[in-house]
Formats: sequence, C-alpha cells, structure tokens
Amino acid sequence: MRNTLRFTGVGGQGVLLAGEIMAACKIKDGGFGLKTATYTSQVRGGATVVDITLDDNEIRYPYANEGEIDFMLSVANVSYNQFKSGVKPGGIIVVDPNLVHPTEEDRKKWIIHEIPIITIAKEEVGNVITQSVVALAITNTMTKVLPKQSLIDTMLSKVPEKVHAANKKAYELGEKYALQAMGK
Amino acid sequence: MREVISTGNELAAKAAVEAGARFFAGYPITPSSEVMHESSDLLPEVGGACIQMEDEIAGISAALGASMTGVKSFTATSGPGISLKSEQIGLGFIAEIPLVIINVMRGGPSTGLPTRVSQADIGQAQYPTHGDFASITLCAGSLTECYTETVRGFNLAEKYMTPVFVLLDETIGHMHGKAELPDLADIEASIVNRATFDGPASEYKPYKAPMNEPAVLNPMFKGYRYHVTGLHHGDEGFPTEDAFQCEYNIERLVGKINTVAAQNDGLDDLPDYEEYMLDDAEVCLIAYGSIGLGAYEAVQKLRAEGIKAGMFRPIMLWPSPAKKIAEIGAKFKDKIFVTELNMGQYSKEIERIIKRNDFTTLLKANGRPIAPAEMVAKVKEMM
Repeated sequence: MRNTLRFTGVGGQGVLLAGEIMAACKIKDGGFGLKTATYTSQVRGGATVVDITLDDNEIRYPYANEGEIDFMLSVANVSYNQFKSGVKPGGIIVVDPNLVHPTEEDRKKWIIHEIPIITIAKEEVGNVITQSVVALAITNTMTKVLPKQSLIDTMLSKVPEKVHAANKKAYELGEKYALQAMGK
Repeated sequence: MREVISTGNELAAKAAVEAGARFFAGYPITPSSEVMHESSDLLPEVGGACIQMEDEIAGISAALGASMTGVKSFTATSGPGISLKSEQIGLGFIAEIPLVIINVMRGGPSTGLPTRVSQADIGQAQYPTHGDFASITLCAGSLTECYTETVRGFNLAEKYMTPVFVLLDETIGHMHGKAELPDLADIEASIVNRATFDGPASEYKPYKAPMNEPAVLNPMFKGYRYHVTGLHHGDEGFPTEDAFQCEYNIERLVGKINTVAAQNDGLDDLPDYEEYMLDDAEVCLIAYGSIGLGAYEAVQKLRAEGIKAGMFRPIMLWPSPAKKIAEIGAKFKDKIFVTELNMGQYSKEIERIIKRNDFTTLLKANGRPIAPAEMVAKVKEMM
C-alpha cells in the first residue's frame, strides 16, 4: 500500500522538516519512505512543495505521481494553486484559511478542511516554528499513515531537547484541531 | 550492510571520508552545497580539513594542491562551478593529479535553473576542458550509489591518476530516504592507493610511464623532487615541445583510460551498468541517474499492462559501457527508448555505438523530472 502526501508552502516555513520526519518514521518502522522537495531559487517566498511517499515495499521514483496524491496540506496560496492538481479526486486537502483560498470548484473536487495552522502555532503553542509539527499532527491524524507514538518519537529526535515540550504541545493541538475538523 | 536515512549529498560526503579523503576545498553552490556542509562536519573528526575558499577556482586549486601532497582530496560543485573550474581540471588531466569532482547537476547553461534537476552536464563531464584527454565519469542512480560511486571515484582517481567526475543531480542529491551502505570494513578493504616509487630519489622519473599506464607521482615534500606543469612535459615533468614526446603524452593520457577500458571491459571490477528485467523484455528503456528511478516504475507499470519492458541503466557514463550498449542495439533493434534530462547528450553516444538513430527518445530540459507515466505513454506509442 502506497501513501503519497504533499506539503506545500513557501520557503522557510519548515514544511521540509515535516516531510523528513514522516519518511524517517516509516523507515524506522521497517518500511520505505522518501521525501523530495522542489523549491525555487528565490531566497524567501518562493513556492515550495514537499512530496512524501510511504510504502511497505521499495519506492524508487521519489516524486508524487500527478493525480495520485491522497493528502495535501498547504500554508501558502501561491503553492496551493500551483500544486493542488496532483491530488486525486476525493482526496483530502488541509489549508490555513488565513493564507489559502480554495475556489468553490475545489471544494466540490476535494474534501477541504480549514485549520488555522500558523495561528495555532503562534498563539496557542507560542512559537511559530512549531507550525511544522502542528501540520505533522494534522496530517497523521487525518491519514493515519504512521503509528502516532512512533511519529512523535521520531519528531522529538529531530528537534533540540529544550523545545520538546513545545513540540509535544504542538502535536497535541494539531491532533485536536484535526479531529474537530473531521467532526469527531 | 548499514542502513542509514540520509540525502544523496550527505552520503557522497560520508563516502568520501570513508574512502580515505582528508581534504575538501570548494565554494557553495546550489544544489551541491550540502556536500561541503557535511564534509565540514566529518573531515575535522578524522583529522582532515575542509576549507570554503574564495571562489570555485580557488576551491579546485587547493584540492589539487592537497592531492599532490598525497592526501586524497575532493571538491563539489554544480554546472556553473565546473565551468569556472575547467582550466584547473585541465591541469589535473595533464599533470595526472588524482581528484574527485562531485557535480550535483542543475539546469543550465550559465546559472540556468539553480534549484532544479537536470542531466545536461554529462557532455561537459566528458569534455570539461580544452585539449585531448579521457574522462572517467560515474553517475549515481540511487541514494546507495551516491555513496558507493563516490568511493569508487576515489579508487579510480588513485588507480588511473586522473580527475574523476561523480555526477549526482538535484533530485538524487536532495532526496531523503533509506540507503543501504556496504560495511565499513568492506569499504576499507576496497581502498586503492596511488602507486609510489621507492627507489633512490636520483632515479625518480614520475612521468616516464609505459604507454597506457599512469604517471607515478610520489607525494610532495618527501624527498622526491619533480616539476609539475600544465605544459607538455618529459619524464621529470619539465616542459618540452618534442614532437614524439607530445604525441606520446596525449596517446598515453587517452589510452590509460579509453584503451584500458576497452581492453578490460571496464576500469575496475564493479558494475558499469544495471540491467533490470531485460532478459525477456521486448522493449528496452535506457535511463541513468535520477531518471532511472522513474524508469524502474515505468517498467513495472508497462509490465502490469502486458508490455514486457526492461531497463538498461549506465552507471559509468564515460568511458561508456560500449560493448553492452552495442549488444542492446543488436538485440532490441528499434525497440529502444532513451530518456534523459537534456536534449539528447547520451542518445548521441548510443547512436555513435549502435550506428543507428531509429530509437525513440523522451528528452526534457525544463528543470522538471520525467514521471513514469510520461515514459509509459511514450513507450506505448512505439509498441
């Protein structure tokens, strides 16, 4: 079973790290995971896309195949518009409603959830950098592609110890908002 | 086997250090910078040094200088950096200085597409500078090969006394996943060190090499004195314009790589290519580097649809695995599909070897990868 996920944002938002954590977690659990980022040569503000492929069997091609993406999360309108077409019809898209504005047509094609990811990180966790962990929690809560504890452990192994508490909180909040959005 | 989670660029740096490299000098450039970054962490830990120089030219110059003292050295860059380094690469060829040059390819020409993937430097790797010489160029097609081909690059550089190119590309350099690496003991057992002359210093003639054999350059500052120059030189390295000597020099420089590879079916015992499901195939996809990753999946998708596809993936691009390419040309006739991220640089080599151009190509030069689905669609058209 192959899962293909896509994170999109602009350079500097930390979407790369979230992808790396997911791939690493899948590998640690005995499977295969690949993360590939595509970004622009702009110093900041350029559209960034991270494709994450997870599989129990070997993966070679590291990019998402167009139309096969199960789940996308976007925190920038420019990248949302550029990369949404890769998501399969009926797939899940999570957007930060303060930054991304899906069309009515988009809402018919995909299941779109609006979660203010940046605001949650900034105001509820108290550190905007944790937005990537909020995104990570939302992604895994909605897709259930990885065992929760294993993902949290992998995430904590990649961040400095002094911010472990903040990142754990970010994960819990991401999970809470994801469950709310899904109506559970 | 060792299982690691890493990127291609980081694995190339790790490989260099484990292959015995102790010196890196270079200048950061996307998408190769992580090779230098990782080297700056790893080299000091083993008593080596990593220097960020003032520019690309200084980077290769320092690396060549270090190599002349007997220290295994390397530099890493991307296409524009190779252009800047090209004069000194020529010095490496004619003075026969071992050096590994890692090129993480991006779109060109000039500054081109800094963050995007390309394979348009393979022609440059074959002829990176003016004059006659033969290049050794390895092309990594997986995370594991970013490691193994870098190790191999050092061994070939020492064995043949020449600069060696290890080509990665933006996709493979930056992709992050699982790689299985050979055990360190096996790597250490495979290490090749350059030959040295141990007789009296008065009898030492570093460039007095038999035809098709490399020079024997003792490390500098150990009592063996010789001259190093980019000019044509005689046995002791001093400049000469002697017609016989100059012709011999060039024949030997080209022959020590190309003739030896043709006679021995390669330059070492390691695989120069990979064959994937070719035995019963009716169509052969030819791809290398990161494009090979998509081609694997294209082969699988085609087979799922009833088309018996297989893949041939060159690893040593230069000198090319000509004997095998000729066999494929004869076996698959016009059912050959070549796909690469340039306007046909390796297609030309295949055409040169099989002496036909009736194969199908899928070429791209816009900085984007080639998806398996694109390959599948094009192969179906030709079946």
